[in-house]
Amino acid sequence: MQSITLKGKGIVEGYCKGEALVSKSPISFLGGVDPADGKIVERNHDLCGECVKDKIFCFPYGHGSTVGSYVLYSLAKRKLSPKAIINQTADPVVVVGAIIANIPMIAEIDITRIETGDMLEIDAYKGIVKILGRKESS
Amino acid sequence: MYLTSEEERIYDGEYGWANQICMKILVRLGELFNASRLIPISSAHVSGVSYKTLGDAPIEFLKALCNAKVQVKAEATLNPKSVDPEYLCKKLPEKLCKKQNEILGYFEKMGFADSLTCTPYYLKKIERNSHLAWAESSAVVYANSVIGAWTNREGGPSALAAAIIGKTPNYGIHRSENRRPKILVKIEKTLQDEVEFGALGTFLGDVLKDDVPVIQNIKSASKDQLKQLGAALASTGMVNMFYMEDVRVKKSELEQINVEPKDIAQTVEKLTTASVKKPDLVYVGCPHCSLDEIKQIAELIENKKVKNGIQFWVCTSRHIKKQARKDVEKIERCGGHIITDTCAVVTWTDKLGIKTIMTNSAKTAHYAPTLNKAETILAPLNECVETALQG
Repeated sequence: MQSITLKGKGIVEGYCKGEALVSKSPISFLGGVDPADGKIVERNHDLCGECVKDKIFCFPYGHGSTVGSYVLYSLAKRKLSPKAIINQTADPVVVVGAIIANIPMIAEIDITRIETGDMLEIDAYKGIVKILGRKESS
Repeated sequence: MYLTSEEERIYDGEYGWANQICMKILVRLGELFNASRLIPISSAHVSGVSYKTLGDAPIEFLKALCNAKVQVKAEATLNPKSVDPEYLCKKLPEKLCKKQNEILGYFEKMGFADSLTCTPYYLKKIERNSHLAWAESSAVVYANSVIGAWTNREGGPSALAAAIIGKTPNYGIHRSENRRPKILVKIEKTLQDEVEFGALGTFLGDVLKDDVPVIQNIKSASKDQLKQLGAALASTGMVNMFYMEDVRVKKSELEQINVEPKDIAQTVEKLTTASVKKPDLVYVGCPHCSLDEIKQIAELIENKKVKNGIQFWVCTSRHIKKQARKDVEKIERCGGHIITDTCAVVTWTDKLGIKTIMTNSAKTAHYAPTLNKAETILAPLNECVETALQG
């Protein structure tokens, strides 16, 4: 496929390449992600059981307790955090979490254009997400 | 967003990692919500102190801030923790108390006062029109609506950052255009007691979203009743302030909601989940009791005895407990427990075998089924005390 470029707003600076993990529903980091292993544990969540470690984690927005920001910091300390975060709408819990955990973050991206497994290149200085390649659907 | 040259130097890291990260939090949140600059605050109040609600996640971050030797630059107070120093600390596992002490230690090293209350407005007079960065939602509504101070509903981390920088971005409720009322709430009955005020808050939180209301027919309410209204409003909704009728506004320009007596009655009913009126715990003090409330309790309970098999807790701050010494003694002589620094919602009532909580607080009745895994009975203070005595 040809690469697709999406333009959003850089929230926390950084640059990286990695595989996308895309959630259709919002996520609460407090209670929704296990800080011990980075797995999504929110019941009835479309990604329940998936691990966020080293993924470029794309979800519409965060919700829930502001303690969620500290969960992102804990994940980063244990090297279990996502490589980057891409949101449709930036919310305070995730923004603060990404700042203290130093995780590159871009918001205002149409994440419905991205699929789980896509290879992404993100430039959070400029707010640019490039979809480099997509896994062939079987 | 405009930053002074001093603020820019903090942002660029000249004052170290911890100041930099706190500044970054404030600037990014400010940009997100279209703030134009940072404004000085007269106090910050930080939530997220109880180990029960926090868990282990923040410990490493607080430790790192502490090791960087940052100090608060504004008056900074703390929300309740998960245990008190006299009663619960002897009943709960030592491991939990140790973790709680570790968390508190980090805050204290950074210069936070060990106020440990959700009612920081009882500690010191808060000036009208002063700007604050407070994170306890019930205190936020009280400060904006009853005191006339200005504060957004901060999260734990953003209030922490504001305490360390001494400033907050000027968005949201810090701007007068966002404090304008949008909705007129007509109430077709005179509310009788604090439970009905709490029920009104619970009901309105659900329907108002974040529109600032003018609430009619509550002008003669006591401050304690308004405290219940605000706490409940914030527990079901995102509204950060309300007006009583004295606000200057053309009522014809406002949308209107009518609250009927049945809305209040049904809300009170819904907040009681227990089918039998047999509580293990009768709990008063959400939000923490005022001097007046402690006095009322002492009068109701004087020279009687709390019934065997029932616990009676009155939660308040150390500050108020000290001032209410005589009333405190009266309540304790009757078998009640005056508990400071914590409350039923942020301690582990389930580990104490408490399955049913009776309370006069709509906020507690709203949260206890999930946060305490407990059944609830919502009733006014006199009924609460009556039940504590008679079962």
